[in-house]
Amino acid sequence: MIIAVSGKGGTGKTMVSSALINLLSKTGKDILAIDADPDSNLPEALGIDVLKTVGDVREELKKDTASGNIPSSANKWDILDYKIMESVVETPEFDLLVMGRPEGSGCYCAVNNMLRKIIETISSNYDFIVIDTEAGLEHLSRRTTQNVDVMLVVTDPSYRGILTAQRIGELAKELEINFKKLFLILNRVKIEDGKNLREKAEATGLELGGLIYEDSVVSEYDMEGRPLIELPSDAVSVKELTKIVEKILKFH
Amino acid sequence: MFEDIPVDVSPMYEGERIRAANMFVELAGPKSIGAELVQVQESVEDGKVSVIGPEISEMTQGEIYPFGLKIDIQGEKLEKELESVIERRVHELCNYVKGFMHLNQRDQIWCRISTEALEAGFKLEHLAKALSVLFKEEFPIIESIAITVLTQEAEVSEFLEMAKEQYTIRDERARELSDEDVDVFYGCLMCQSFAPSHMCVVTPDRTALCGAINWFDCRAAAKIDPEGPIFEIEKGEVLDAEKGEYVNVNAAIAEKSQGMTDRVYIHSVFGYPHTSCGCFEAVAFYIPELDRIGLVNRDFKGETPLGIPFSAMAGQCSGGKQVEGFTGLSLEYMRSPKFLKADGGYGRVIWMPKEIKESVMEFIPEELRDKIPTEEDANSIKEIRKFIREAEHPVMERIKQAKLEAAEESEEIEEIEEIKVDESEFGEPGMAPVMMAPEFAIPASGGVKIIFKNAKIYAEKVIIKKK
Repeated sequence: MIIAVSGKGGTGKTMVSSALINLLSKTGKDILAIDADPDSNLPEALGIDVLKTVGDVREELKKDTASGNIPSSANKWDILDYKIMESVVETPEFDLLVMGRPEGSGCYCAVNNMLRKIIETISSNYDFIVIDTEAGLEHLSRRTTQNVDVMLVVTDPSYRGILTAQRIGELAKELEINFKKLFLILNRVKIEDGKNLREKAEATGLELGGLIYEDSVVSEYDMEGRPLIELPSDAVSVKELTKIVEKILKFH
Repeated sequence: MFEDIPVDVSPMYEGERIRAANMFVELAGPKSIGAELVQVQESVEDGKVSVIGPEISEMTQGEIYPFGLKIDIQGEKLEKELESVIERRVHELCNYVKGFMHLNQRDQIWCRISTEALEAGFKLEHLAKALSVLFKEEFPIIESIAITVLTQEAEVSEFLEMAKEQYTIRDERARELSDEDVDVFYGCLMCQSFAPSHMCVVTPDRTALCGAINWFDCRAAAKIDPEGPIFEIEKGEVLDAEKGEYVNVNAAIAEKSQGMTDRVYIHSVFGYPHTSCGCFEAVAFYIPELDRIGLVNRDFKGETPLGIPFSAMAGQCSGGKQVEGFTGLSLEYMRSPKFLKADGGYGRVIWMPKEIKESVMEFIPEELRDKIPTEEDANSIKEIRKFIREAEHPVMERIKQAKLEAAEESEEIEEIEEIKVDESEFGEPGMAPVMMAPEFAIPASGGVKIIFKNAKIYAEKVIIKKK
């Protein structure tokens, strides 16, 4: 099952992703987290040091190819496969693959084509894949999220945040990307705004998957730079996300 | 067939990855050493399986062990050349074994055994047995097969050294693999999303012009992804081996370019050069004034001796257009023995950026290495002339020779040669390039038509007037 977390930058996408990974890992299943946002800090939220990203592997291979350092009869599929496996960070609870920096100049058709296939193969080995997508809508138009089962659109209560969420929903429909389920998640909601926001969420035409109230514990962790995955299970946000995970698991 | 093996053996387990969390032990890989090697031997004890070093049952959970896989085969029709072809199947066949992960090849392998396999009673001995059966089934020319699995540091490192020597010998042979040695070339349409009429032809002597894939990669791709953008082209009838023209390649390109292009010379910038998507690492361009070829790579930011930078040149010949005098190519192709062979190879190259010159230096004939100018030596046609005269480039000798011969033949021709070889005004400061065209005709009286090929027109001043 592939779960993608999307939304405008700074809305708490990464907090939702890391909590999701934490909660899912308690099921004892095999979990792969993919950080597809070049600006994100999912590894930090998960408390993991990443040595090498897919982007680094891609550049490395391009460099080796151009300088003629690859044995003539070795094929690049196998080399890439090995290097990507090497870049996967493995923990007892979950594995993490970081996509990293975007492409440089030159032609990336061939290498991206190989990467797509390799990541597909790797992914088929896991029960749950959680993708922290890049902020914005590009992942939809480039169809990198078209095999996603459940799409979570995270937004803060700001007008523009909700508008972006609505657009994600509309664009998915327009491009005929059929998620099994698309949930809107409202994050950092002030207690007194709860009711009002529920109405606004309804107006977007998206199903409200959950409403996360402002959580002082999250702010504290953010301030201290503590990994969000270590949030206590009784934190307001984690409690709400536990309910969301239950909803998602129904589609598994 | 696999009754005595405690885990499933089937192609359906291909692509199986074993997470660290589900793994019992790791073999070879980035944190240890390992190698695999298939060798044809005179006599082999069929079905012999041995494990030198600890068996899985003697290993400790979570540890990493060195790993060697030595496969000896014998068969009347087996030749040494087939070793690498057979060895390439080790990866695939190992992965048939459930609970055994195998990545990559040669001395870059990385394997894991799952805890599940351990619990089922799986041993390395079983892996070797399964491989023996699978190999004989896949390659009936193998009459007998013996497999040795090594897991002891000393034995593995000794084996690794021996294997590396074999790989080097094979690589040298692979480098020698030429267009003549194979029956199949490959077509690649990966870039058709933005160059709909472009098809890359990939042969042992010509990598795709993006530089990313060679003939071996294509062979793997066509197998891994048969419905994908890379497909086989049966080489078929050779029309011109030197230029690299083949009946079936022409037919394939006509089909895949929707009729835009129906002829292609793989190894020439003249006549029907290979088309370009826009991804190429470098461009080869004809310099009419010198009747020579220049090379420029994507990373070169300055202007070429034609007075235009890479980007402008790329614009002229990309998008699947066939433009005589220009062709996109990869840096690796500059290391090919067939590099623009029909045009004279490096003997015809008269300018290239220093960066690429250095990376392909050993492939440039020794006598030409210090005679091909880079941007540090010359940046205009005039400067190139000066440089090659001073460096005594063999082309100068040939030009003189041609002049002498021509002079003997007729005076008329001499005049033409004069224009061609003498220091002309072209390229002088103050002269602006007005137009460049691979071919254009000007009206003339007296029942003749004047056609300029690879024309470049320079003018001191261009005046545009309303009539």
